[in-house]
Amino acid sequence: MTKPNFDEFLAKSLEERDNPEHMPKPQKPLWSGIEKAINTASSVGTSPVNQHNRANVWRQVSAIAASTLVGMCVVYFSMKPVEQSSVMQMSNYFEQQKQTLLVQYGSLPALTNDWQVQLQELEQAEQAIKTALENDPENAALLQMLAQVYQQQLDLINRVHQPRWQQI
Amino acid sequence: MLVDAQGAFANDTLDELVLRTQQGDQVAFAALYEQCHRRVYALCLRLLADQAHAEDACQEVFVQLWHKMSQFNGQSKFTTWLHSVTSNIAISYLRKQKNWLNKVVSFECSGMDEASISLCGDLDGLDKLILKLPERARLVFVLHAVEGYRHEEIASMLGMAVGSSKSQYHRARKLLQEWYEND
Repeated sequence: MTKPNFDEFLAKSLEERDNPEHMPKPQKPLWSGIEKAINTASSVGTSPVNQHNRANVWRQVSAIAASTLVGMCVVYFSMKPVEQSSVMQMSNYFEQQKQTLLVQYGSLPALTNDWQVQLQELEQAEQAIKTALENDPENAALLQMLAQVYQQQLDLINRVHQPRWQQI
Repeated sequence: MLVDAQGAFANDTLDELVLRTQQGDQVAFAALYEQCHRRVYALCLRLLADQAHAEDACQEVFVQLWHKMSQFNGQSKFTTWLHSVTSNIAISYLRKQKNWLNKVVSFECSGMDEASISLCGDLDGLDKLILKLPERARLVFVLHAVEGYRHEEIASMLGMAVGSSKSQYHRARKLLQEWYEND
């Protein structure tokens, strides 16, 4: 049977997008987390009005903190060209963030036992990328990979110490 | 509390479930979730191209839905409103995921790799290709071709020029066609 041309394939796929059989499904049950989040909000007596006000305050505080941090980074990186020392500074800053998280979560139980193994694997990836950057410090793809590996490490530390329903 | 939402509301229509949810009926909301969570998750996955993030965003959509249900006034179809709420939450979720490194270095996130796509379960041909698209092209393609937004609306949602939205759409189509034909 011949393969339909791209336009036919696209039209047919888009036509079927509302068919549940063609929709991807989550790999884990999500309802229990939703139910917990809804009931937790109800049990502490948070009215929609109070929630709205509180969310606004937190949004403002977070926005100020985030913009200050991003602003500092933008000023810092705009003062220097992308070179090895900038990568090192970026790494130092990340290391500081990571250590802060590890100290913050130090006394909390982790959700999985093998998270430190996963962290070690990410650290090995980080080292491999840094080695490659020594030979090619302005390689955009490598810098992106390094940024992603840094973020994955922070995400991992956060995720294993915070049950998903608490993150909502 | 686990609720037998499927059993209790097996024969109810979506409109009835929406009405009961608006009255604070959590069992009806659970049934509503059963009926709608796959379409919400599918949209989150297409926009975020990350299984774990899509699951988180899907949960966030339903938690917010519970609190915002009173805002649905019935002037449009519930599913249309649901898709609009989901799109906005997923885009906002994507922005929150951007850390200072992404903002400073300003890279465009690439799409999912084959190995990650294979972990997402049964995906149809187009979804597999959509997840491979780079971020901006993917967002525009999903919002325009799949969700039916106009480029003017997309430009406003994503904070880009209308021309950029159009060029990202053509970029996405070109990549999809190339991948489809070489597959």
